[in-house]
Amino acid sequence: MADASIEFKGSSFTLSVLHLKSSELADIRADLTKKVAQAPDFFYLVPVVVNIEQLSCSIDYQAVKALIEEFNFTFVGFTGAVTKEQRFHIRELGFSFVNTAKANVPPKSTIAPKSEVKETAIEAPKVVEHLYTDKVHRGQIRSGQQIYAKDQNLVIIGSVSAGAEVIADGNIHVYGSLRGRAIAGAKGHHKAQIYCQNLEAELVSINGNYWLSESMEEHWGSPAFIHLTDTELTSSKLI
Amino acid sequence: MARIIVVTSGKGGVGKTTSSAAIGLGLALKGHKVVLIDFDIGLRNLDLIMGCERRVVYDFVNVINGEATLNQALIKDKRVSSLSILPASQTRDKDALNKESVGKVLEELGKTFDFIVCDSPAGIEAGAMMALYYADEAIVTTNPEVSSVRDSDRILGMLASRSRRAELNLEPIKEHLLLTRYSPKRVEEGEMLSVEDVKDILSIPLLGVIPESQAVLKASNAGEPVILDTESDAGQAYQDVIDRLLGETVEFRFLVAEKKGIFSRMFGG
Ligand SMILES: Nc1ncnc2c1ncn2[C@@H]1O[C@H](COP(=O)(O)OP(=O)(O)OP(=O)(O)O)[C@@H](O)[C@H]1O
Ligand SMILES: [Mg+2]
Repeated sequence: MADASIEFKGSSFTLSVLHLKSSELADIRADLTKKVAQAPDFFYLVPVVVNIEQLSCSIDYQAVKALIEEFNFTFVGFTGAVTKEQRFHIRELGFSFVNTAKANVPPKSTIAPKSEVKETAIEAPKVVEHLYTDKVHRGQIRSGQQIYAKDQNLVIIGSVSAGAEVIADGNIHVYGSLRGRAIAGAKGHHKAQIYCQNLEAELVSINGNYWLSESMEEHWGSPAFIHLTDTELTSSKLI
Repeated sequence: MARIIVVTSGKGGVGKTTSSAAIGLGLALKGHKVVLIDFDIGLRNLDLIMGCERRVVYDFVNVINGEATLNQALIKDKRVSSLSILPASQTRDKDALNKESVGKVLEELGKTFDFIVCDSPAGIEAGAMMALYYADEAIVTTNPEVSSVRDSDRILGMLASRSRRAELNLEPIKEHLLLTRYSPKRVEEGEMLSVEDVKDILSIPLLGVIPESQAVLKASNAGEPVILDTESDAGQAYQDVIDRLLGETVEFRFLVAEKKGIFSRMFGG
């Protein structure tokens, strides 16, 4: 049956998976702090699935989610080969259980008991084709300012100063100089792109792949756009 | 209606107080009624530069706390009668001011004065925010070096988001760029950013370029704002700033290094 306004389609995405090796929340926090400190912007709003397969004892799921969000990740759900009870418990708490592509393959006989749990594909994160609207900002984004276009493209009519940060779930267009940080496809969008009239950025990131200034040499100081090929960032001349 | 002008910068020691004093006095010399307010609570600098430090009885904080009236605290300048100074307190801490009382004081001053010039403390904390909150115009004082430009950029962000005009969605604060301690020679040698570099990064209209000058230190020590030194380059550059603030179009001077005279060239001076 054709549905006019919406359509569900399965799609596969690359998501970051955080593998927990300890149930000790304090340890997890300490390690996350270290990790995130290395590249705070890189992790900002990055969608994360938590794999609990390696845990030997139970863990407070709600506390894990809270902890993940404390570090400004976007919590997606839990994953890992776990018992039926655990899954049930996780879902009862209102969290989604994300199957890896492998888990959706009809289980082999060695893990026979699992075949009973027939998870539908609906459970995998399902994102409809990206059809973003634009958030338009007139004027310069100054050092210390941050602007986030949630579920939108971001259009800036003006420059982005060094020390400023622009983030969008879709594309970023800067009609001016990009001297600060630009993070496109923040929630995980591989095709997101960054366009600017003058590339002098401190950092650009698309779908979690990032470049610092030193990688931008080729188009430094000229109009350019940045996009992803497979997993590599690439810059091209804009005009 | 009085024009409330904040002289601000983010970074410290770039020439805010020097500029506030020169601009305040310069506007008064043109016949306008001007009050200079020192928002740098705890440091008290403006009265020294203005040469009235011995006449301070009450200060801004006394007025805020209702311990003195405005008339008791205002110091009339001895050189120009249309200029008054509201000094900062040296004994209070930075948090002695609050938005509401400052607003009332400014409103009261607005009834008598044409210009209210606010000398902001450095930084981006409460004191600096207080100084810029009620401003109609901002003179963003910047030295031609990366860290100063970056801080000015930061302050411009604050002007656009944390001021009364921003909060009430009124017409934004009018922004002016004042480049101070400009040394054309060091720009040519690549040690400093040029006027064009700074304009390109901050993209706000240029109000003036004040050259690095011996005259400034001399003026500060004498308690005579440098604008009174009409022979000096800095004094003349501030004079141009006054004319521009009053709507005139004045060409920019002191932007290129002086060519050495034939004698100094011959004798390697
Ligand atoms: N054009 C200039 N040429 C030479 N020296 C200058 C110039 N402008 C300011 N100075 C010197 O720089 C120093 C700092 O100036 P000033 O006190 O005006 O800065 P400020 O921004 O008010 O500092 P603070 O942030 O501490 O309030 C002083 O010693 C002053 O004499
Ligand atoms: Mg000062």
